[in-house]
Amino acid sequence: MNYSFLVFSGIGLLLLLLLAWLSFTNLRTKPDDRAASRQERDCRHISYLGYIHQALDRTDIEFLKTRGFPSLANRVEKERRQIALKYLHALRTDFEKLVDFARVMAVMSPDVELVQELQSLRLQLAFSYRYHLIHARLEFGIAPSNALANLSNMVSALTVRMEAAISELGERAVLGSEFGSYSDGGAS
Amino acid sequence: MLRGHFRILPFLSAYITLNICQAVLLYFIYHRFGRVSDAAYVAAWWSEAITVLARVFATVEIIHMALISYRGIWGLAWRLLGLISLVMSIAVALAAEGDVDWALLHADRGYHLIFAMATVGCLLLIRYYQISVGRVYRTLLATLCSYSCVKILLDTVLQNILYAQYLEYAAIWQLVSLFSYIVVLALWAEALWHPLPAIEPQRAVLPSSVYQQVAPEINFQLDALNKRLMGFFKIKERQP
Repeated sequence: MNYSFLVFSGIGLLLLLLLAWLSFTNLRTKPDDRAASRQERDCRHISYLGYIHQALDRTDIEFLKTRGFPSLANRVEKERRQIALKYLHALRTDFEKLVDFARVMAVMSPDVELVQELQSLRLQLAFSYRYHLIHARLEFGIAPSNALANLSNMVSALTVRMEAAISELGERAVLGSEFGSYSDGGAS
Repeated sequence: MLRGHFRILPFLSAYITLNICQAVLLYFIYHRFGRVSDAAYVAAWWSEAITVLARVFATVEIIHMALISYRGIWGLAWRLLGLISLVMSIAVALAAEGDVDWALLHADRGYHLIFAMATVGCLLLIRYYQISVGRVYRTLLATLCSYSCVKILLDTVLQNILYAQYLEYAAIWQLVSLFSYIVVLALWAEALWHPLPAIEPQRAVLPSSVYQQVAPEINFQLDALNKRLMGFFKIKERQP
């Protein structure tokens, strides 16, 4: 058994497995279905921002501990960690929505740039890695819980910007579509 | 092909015809000169080179037909095919360097490796953009690719395990290759028995300028999200 045997047989098996996965698993949805349902999935977590901010306030836990309720303080801390996790999940939802939108744009466009798509893929991989890393740290309580409050500022600033960007992109897409229809009509 | 598929898939039809011609030619040459003669060796490998070239055209044609309604994605797939083929050609050439005795087998394995990688790359692309591809095209691509994967394994495993132990190594290699190809042909026959999916109108409804403007902006947003996420991680690290 030499090096080339292991490499080539490994690649052959891996490709076969990948092919089996691609052949025997179905698509989640069709692009057109996603485009139709896209409008229904708005960023809703922003409306809970005030409550989240309040929930992540560290002084409450300190207060409970000084008053002699350590078990209650721990429970509150645990619940707040869950809130942080949910917030992190919301961030991922925003990210996925944007990726989804980018895919629909690419499918509907007559000219797709390889560089842009590769960059998008790279960002998705980076995001996925970081998300799982932070998720694991929060889940196992490795991250210092007093730092969770910073999450609130982070997500709030971003979500507002994201919503503005998504709505702007949506408007542009509609305008572009209308422009395209007019062009087609004029040509025929 | 009797159903008129050759009009829509001329390269696939040509490939299948060439395969049949190759089989007939080799039958006569083996019969006339013997299976281990020089004439048989030259005829087998040259006819194989012609058919594998036809296979490339047939596969590109199938991918084109599968993505005919998505002009942008087809353009992307075309570039991806070229990129993977180029990178893999260099890798395969480097891996086979200096091994003259097994040059043809390495070339055959290299071709199948490039072919399988490029086809899987295109199938991944189709999956990534969640494009619905007709069952016939899906089956054709999957079987072409799986045959290549089997050939990679045969060329690698049989050479390493059987060659030193069995004198009839070449016969076993041919027999297993032939059997896997017959399975592929049977699956094609079943797939092509059904009518081909109707060619849908162009899905590109946006002017390309919209993509040119929006795609970089989306990537900018994705990058911003990534940086924020990373920022969160660093903030936590710095906390006392």
